[in-house]
Amino acid sequence: MRAFNAELSKLFSLPGIWLAFLIGAFAPAVIAALDSIAQKEEIIAGLSTRLSEVGYIGLGLGVQGVIILGVLAVSSEYLAESSESGGGQQITTSLTVVSSRIHFLLAKAGAVTVISILLSVVAIMTTVSATHLVLGEYTPAFEWPKLLGAVCYWAFTALLAFGITVLTKHGMIPLAVLIINTSFVSFSFLLSKVTKLALYLPDRAGFEMFMFLSNRFLTPFKGGLVMFAWVVVLFIAAAIVFHRRDVAS
Amino acid sequence: MITIHNLVKRRGTQEILSGISFKARPGRVTGFLGPNGAGKSSTLRILLGLDRATSGNALIDGKPFAELHNPLTTVGAALDGSGAHRMRTGREHLRWMAHAAGLSRSRVEEVLDIVGLTNAAGKRVAKYSLGMGRRLGMAAALLGDPKILVLDEPVNGLDPEGIRWIRTFLRERAASGNTVLLSSHLMGELAETVDDVVIIHHGKIVADGSLEEVIGNHSTLEEAFFALTSGLAGDVV
Amino acid sequence: MSFPSSKKITRILGAELDKLVTLPSIWITLTGTFILNLLLAASFTSVGLQGTAGTQSILSIGLASMRYLQAGFIILGILATCSEYNGGQIRTTLTTIPWRGIQLSTKHFALAIIIIPAAFIIAASGVLYTFTMMKDTAVVIEIDTMIKTLLGATGYLTCTTLLSAAIGALFRRTTPALVVLLGYYFVVSPLTRDFPTIRKYFPDTAGSYMYMPPSPNEINVLTPMQGTGISMLWTLIFITVAIVLFRKRDA
Repeated sequence: MRAFNAELSKLFSLPGIWLAFLIGAFAPAVIAALDSIAQKEEIIAGLSTRLSEVGYIGLGLGVQGVIILGVLAVSSEYLAESSESGGGQQITTSLTVVSSRIHFLLAKAGAVTVISILLSVVAIMTTVSATHLVLGEYTPAFEWPKLLGAVCYWAFTALLAFGITVLTKHGMIPLAVLIINTSFVSFSFLLSKVTKLALYLPDRAGFEMFMFLSNRFLTPFKGGLVMFAWVVVLFIAAAIVFHRRDVAS
Repeated sequence: MITIHNLVKRRGTQEILSGISFKARPGRVTGFLGPNGAGKSSTLRILLGLDRATSGNALIDGKPFAELHNPLTTVGAALDGSGAHRMRTGREHLRWMAHAAGLSRSRVEEVLDIVGLTNAAGKRVAKYSLGMGRRLGMAAALLGDPKILVLDEPVNGLDPEGIRWIRTFLRERAASGNTVLLSSHLMGELAETVDDVVIIHHGKIVADGSLEEVIGNHSTLEEAFFALTSGLAGDVV
Repeated sequence: MSFPSSKKITRILGAELDKLVTLPSIWITLTGTFILNLLLAASFTSVGLQGTAGTQSILSIGLASMRYLQAGFIILGILATCSEYNGGQIRTTLTTIPWRGIQLSTKHFALAIIIIPAAFIIAASGVLYTFTMMKDTAVVIEIDTMIKTLLGATGYLTCTTLLSAAIGALFRRTTPALVVLLGYYFVVSPLTRDFPTIRKYFPDTAGSYMYMPPSPNEINVLTPMQGTGISMLWTLIFITVAIVLFRKRDA
């Protein structure tokens, strides 16, 4: 529990965390608003085929904030100080104050999960308000199961970012890969046109939890399960590597 | 010769340097002392053109650093750390510097030999120990065989052999007419190496003169230092 | 400040090239981007082969990976400038080459020297792959159209790299530079699809006209020359801002 609190306070005192919070809270709303503006006439006329995606598209594409959160939580541990201070990294301090490495990893993952859930709740509130603002009375109702799916999607994505960064230590690759993959120009969507297997990729499967896409492949529950499976596998891999690695390398 | 004249540096509302002036003369080793946060690094950074002074100037042979024709052959600087990218090897680091200053590759090998890094030169800087990083910084400073050396804590992290080597090396350089300005915290070591002493405290110079003048009536440099930097000058510690 | 002679500038250029060539992450990123491009070309080609024969444009499919490729080049640009701030190297650079304006512009020039052939090879390899797989089923294209388009693609990737390098020099840390650039190119830019009139003056859209033939139902398009001009203008603006701030700021 103490380790968990320590990790929470570490996260909150990171300089980059405010960027993550800002993007996480407002990007979904902005994306949803712009998308709703584009769809406005169709919705009013009742011709929209994407009605069930209204608002949720913001939550799906605005997940960049929690990606930054998950990556920074780990990459900040490995940022080497200037060699005048002996080239020290925060990871050495962190590992001397916890009883075991797994303990440390779980506490950090827990802190990341909690904060991403909170952030996703804030994002939902801003997105719903923004959609209401744009569409007024034509706003479709936001159902609880789908919103829960969105929250899960955010938490799982943050944990994926977290796991990958534990493996790479440096934040650049996971940031680049995940930001691109969850943007409008996603690898997973491209691959899904090439092979059906790509539909089991974590972000594509996770989308099923709250976005009703034209070619629905998995039920929401199964989609969530697939994504969760990815998170677990990645976490186990990260834990094994982390446990065995020399800190100085 | 290094001339610092009425240097003032303000950052926001804080005044880091309040009009400091001193000289570092050729043929002498000048020691630059002060507590943490006194303004030593700021002064050296302004001298080397890294930071901008609010007013006053810091001149090298009468010219500011940016106006030197070939800086590396005039002033050699070793500031904190190795000053090298962690993923490059020591040799690659020195080679690009030599290329920029128009020096030959053989000079790189000479300098590596002087500081004793020839064996480690092919390894990445990230794998260097603290002392090896300082040696690399020293090698970079010596690359152009400059008349003036500016060193920030050169002894930091060196083993006893390295400490003795630096002391002898700097004395030899000063003896052959070069200027050496070095800052340090190690009083005992410094007292063995320097000719002149400049003490800075809270952005002001509190002592400036030869080693004997600054020590004055105190028994060691350390005593004089604490006397001058705790409270008002003249207080008995 | 006395302006350095041309011999000095050549030396500085040589030093900056040395620096780039000895930075392992540059080569890793280039290799990764090359492999990524081949994989993407393979994906797009297989999707294209599923479509009706005789209607595919080899160039459109071969260069469809450009939207992803630019990420690799953005990373390259950021790495080139942000690496100066690793290990305190910026202090070494400035005490060796104190003429800041010259140093930063020469760095961009050295980066361009490395990127131009790399971008050409990467873009050409993708198109070549598509060509070999689809030459029987696709519309016939002429060699000089292919060359012109490839040159446009190379130019676009180079401008993107230089622009990213300038942003890297402005932010000095890789994470904010990466978030801002990737956020713009991959999230903000597609979002502004609904505002076509001003959008065509943005760096990436103007740049896309450098290599993509305009589709017949698009009005308000730019010619490749106009696209090139606007892209280069954006790049020069950012580089200038980076140089001005670099000269004023503390190191």
